[in-house]
Amino acid sequence: MKTRSFFAAVIAAALAAPPVAASADEMVFASWGGTYQDAIRKAWLEPFAKASGVKVEEDTGPETAKIKAMVDTKSVSWDIVTAGGGGLMRGVAQGLFEPITADMVKQDDVIEGARNPYGVPSEIFSTLIGFSTKAFPASGAQPKTFADFFDVKTFPGKRTLPDKPETVLEAALLADGVPADKVYATLSTEAGMKKALDRIAALKPSVAVWWSSGAQPVQALGAGDVVMALGWNGRFQAGMDSNLPIAMSWAQQIPQVGYFMIPKGAPNKATAAKFLNFILKPEINAELSRHVAYGPATKGAWAHIDAARAERLPSTPERLKNALFLDIDWWAKNGAKATEAYTAMIKG
Amino acid sequence: MTITDGLRPLPRPSWRRHAGWIGIAPLAVLLVIAFAIPVGSLLRLSFGEGDFTLEHFARIVTVPLYRSVLLTTLTISATTTLLCVVMSYPVAYLMATVGPRMRALLIVVVLLPFWTSSLVRTTAWIVILQGNGILNRLLMGVGLTSEPVAFVYNLSGVLIGMTHVLMPFVVLPLYAALRGLDLSTVQAAEGLGAGPTTVFFRIVVPLTAPGAVAGATIVFMNALGFYITPALMGGPAQTMISQMIADNVGRQLDWSFAAALSTVLLGATLVLFVLFQRVFGLDRLFSGGGGGSKSGEPFRLTSRGRTAGGLFGAVMGLAVAVFLIAPILVVFPMSLGSSPFLAFPPSDLSLRWYVSFFENSKWVGALTRSLQVAAVTVAGAVVLGTAAAIGLDRIGQHWRRTIETAFVLPMIVPVIILAVGLYYLFAPVGLVASIWGLAIGHTVLAAPYVFITVRAALKGFDPNLELAALGLGAPWHTMARRILVPVILPGILAGSVFAFITSFDDVILALFLTNIRTRTLPKLMYEGVAHEIDPTIIAAAGLIILVTVALLALDLVLTRKRP
Repeated sequence: MKTRSFFAAVIAAALAAPPVAASADEMVFASWGGTYQDAIRKAWLEPFAKASGVKVEEDTGPETAKIKAMVDTKSVSWDIVTAGGGGLMRGVAQGLFEPITADMVKQDDVIEGARNPYGVPSEIFSTLIGFSTKAFPASGAQPKTFADFFDVKTFPGKRTLPDKPETVLEAALLADGVPADKVYATLSTEAGMKKALDRIAALKPSVAVWWSSGAQPVQALGAGDVVMALGWNGRFQAGMDSNLPIAMSWAQQIPQVGYFMIPKGAPNKATAAKFLNFILKPEINAELSRHVAYGPATKGAWAHIDAARAERLPSTPERLKNALFLDIDWWAKNGAKATEAYTAMIKG
Repeated sequence: MTITDGLRPLPRPSWRRHAGWIGIAPLAVLLVIAFAIPVGSLLRLSFGEGDFTLEHFARIVTVPLYRSVLLTTLTISATTTLLCVVMSYPVAYLMATVGPRMRALLIVVVLLPFWTSSLVRTTAWIVILQGNGILNRLLMGVGLTSEPVAFVYNLSGVLIGMTHVLMPFVVLPLYAALRGLDLSTVQAAEGLGAGPTTVFFRIVVPLTAPGAVAGATIVFMNALGFYITPALMGGPAQTMISQMIADNVGRQLDWSFAAALSTVLLGATLVLFVLFQRVFGLDRLFSGGGGGSKSGEPFRLTSRGRTAGGLFGAVMGLAVAVFLIAPILVVFPMSLGSSPFLAFPPSDLSLRWYVSFFENSKWVGALTRSLQVAAVTVAGAVVLGTAAAIGLDRIGQHWRRTIETAFVLPMIVPVIILAVGLYYLFAPVGLVASIWGLAIGHTVLAAPYVFITVRAALKGFDPNLELAALGLGAPWHTMARRILVPVILPGILAGSVFAFITSFDDVILALFLTNIRTRTLPKLMYEGVAHEIDPTIIAAAGLIILVTVALLALDLVLTRKRP
C-alpha cells in the first residue's frame, strides 16, 4: 500500500510541476556557478535586466551532455549557455547550437582569433606558467618561457600539468622551438605529435600532480608541493590576491576563448540575441574584467579599462603578441586521438 | 537446504503461493522502468547510432590503453574491497565489545565521514596527505623520515580515499553479524584450548562471512564506478574506466564509445559476479551464516576481559577509527580560516564562510532539498528493498540467482549512464527539474543496498518461527510485526543509512535532473569547482558535523537521565 501511495505522490507531483514559462520578456542564462557566474551577474545580467526590462533567470550546470539531452527531447529551457572552445565545437558537431548570424548579433568589434559562427566570445583566459616565489625569488633567475618550464636543470623542482592534452602539447612544441604559426601543422604529423609527447614524457619524473581541476595547481603551489605549474591566469591571480607566494610569467601564453551560445530550440531566442548585442557594447564588455581576471575579446573594450586593471588581464594587445591561440578547430578534429595518446603516455 | 524447503507443501491460501513474487514485483517494476529501459536504450548505442557496427568494441580491444584501464579498475576495486574487509573486522569487533555509549560514539565515527560530501572528504585528505601535509610534517617532525613521502596523487592516495569512503558498507553488516554470533560457541572453542588466531579463523570468520560478503559485494560494485576520488587523489596510472566513461559522455560527447566501455565494464563485472556465485557460492555463504542469535547469548566481552588477541583487535580497531575520523578532524579548523585557499592550520580565525552559508539562501535551500530528496529515497528504498528481500526467499531456488544478480545491476552501471538515460525518460513527462524525478533516480541506486543488507539479515531469521506463528493462527501481518521485522531490523537500518548516503552524496544524477530551483547541496558544492573550491562547502560540512555531534551529545545526556 505504501508503495502505491508513493507512486501516487510521484505522479501527483509530476502533474503539479509548473510548466516552463516562456513569456517574451524572459531569458534563462545557464553557466557554471561559483565566482564566475557571480561576476557575469554583476557585470552583465543585472545591468541587462535593468536596461531592457527583461526578467533574467539563472540556472547552473550547462553540461554539453545535458544540452544534447535537452535538444534531443525538445525540452530546452536555456536561452544562453556558456562553454570553452572545446565545448562549443563538440556541441556544433552535434548540431546543438543556433548559428549566430550578422543579422542577429553584430560582431565587428570582436578580435580575429576569437570569432566563431556559433558563439559570441565572452572572455579570454590564458594558460601560462605560474611559479613559487619561494623557490624562485625575484633576486634570482625566474622561469619565463615554456622552455624554462621543461628545463629541470636550470629550474629544478616538481611541476604540475593538466591531465588533459589541450595546451600541454602546444607548450611542449613551443618549448622545443617550433614557431607559433607552425605548432598545429607540426602536431598534425605523426612525427610532430611524437615529438610533443616525448618532450612531456621526459618531464614525467618531475611531475608531482597531473591536475584535473583549475584549483589544484594553485593549491599545490601554495602548499609547496610543486614549484611550477602550467595553469590558468585567473586562478594564479586569485592565489596572488590572497597573498600566496605565487607569480606568473606573461612572456609566453596560450589564450583560450570562453563563449556564450544559444541552444537549438531556445524558448527566447530573440531576447538572447538582444543580450548578446548588449554585452558586446564596449563600455559593457569592459565590465566583466572588473570582477574576474579575464580579458575582453573585443577591441573597443580597452578604452574603458585602466592600466592597473589591464596589468591583470591576458588579452592586452601587447601580451597577445607572444600568444598562440588554442585552435579549437584542430582540437575538434584531433581531440579524441590526442587525448587517447596523451592519457596512454602519462599512464604508462 | 533448510528445513523450510522440506516443509514447502504446507497447505496455504492461493495468494501466498505467489507471495514471493508479490514482494519482488514492486522493485522489479521500478528497476525495469527507471533503470533497464533508460540504461538499455543508452547502452544500445554501443552497437552504433544508426547501422549495426562493432567498431567501438574493436577500438577497446585494439587500443592497449583501454585494456590496461579496465585491468587497473578491477585491481583497484579488488584491493579496496580487501582493505575494507580486513580493516572492518577490528572496528566491528570493538563495536561489539564495548559499552553502549562507546558503541554509539563508534557508529558516529564510522558514519560521520559520509555526512560530509565526497568533495569535502577528498579535500581534507589531500590537506593531510600532500607533500607538505599534516602527516608528512608529523613524520618528519618525529624523525621517521627526512624526505616527504608521496601519499597522494598515486595508488596509495586512491586506496586511502576509496577505502575510507567505502568502509562503512562492510563495518555495519559485519557488526550485525558479529552481534549475531553465539557467545557460547566462542567460549566452547576457548575452553577446548583454541587460541585467539584459531578462534578468529575457525569460528569468527566463517560465522560472520555473510555480513562480510554482503558488505564486500557492495564495496566492489561501488568501487568499479568510482571516478571523482581517483581523479582527485590518484595519478594517471590510476585512471579508472568510469573516468573515461564520464569523459566520453560529458566532454567528448561520444556516447557510443561511452556505451561500449560501459557494456564491457558491465559484462566483466557480471562474469566475475556469476563466477563468484558459482565458485564460492554466494547462496551458501549467505545461508551458512551465523546470524544465530536464535538461542544463545550474543557475542560480547565477558567478565574475563580481553585475551591478548582481543586486546590486539581492540587496539587495531581504535587505529582504524582514527583513520576514519581523521579528515573530519581537519575539516573544522579549515572551515575557520579566512583565506579562499584552504590551508591547515589556517593562518587566521574567522567565521567568514559560516556567515556566507547563512547569508546566502541558496545554501540553506539546497541543504533542505537534499534532506527532502533523501527522505523520499530512504522511504522508497526501504519499502521496495525489504519487500524484495523477503520475497526472494519465497520463490523457486533457480530464480533466486538471476533476480539477485539483476537487482545489484544498478550498483555496477556508471551513474552518469543512468543520469543521461533518466533525462531522456523524464523530460517528456516533466519530471526533470523536479525533486521527484531525482528521488526516483536515487531510489533506483539505493534500493539494492537495502535489498542486500536485509537479505543478509534474513539469514538470521529462522523460517520455522514464521511457520509456527502462522500455524498457530497468527495473520501474516502479525507474524511480520512480531517476529520477522524485529529480526531483520538491523538490516533495514543499515540499508536505510546506505540509502540516505547514496542520495545525500549524489552529484551526477542531480546535475542532470535538477535545475537552480531544485538543486541539491552536493550539486551546489560542485558548481564552479572546475575553477575554485568555495570554502563555504567546508563550512557546510562543518555545520553538518556540528549538528550530528550535538544530536549525539543530546542523546547521551538523555540516556543518562533515563532510569
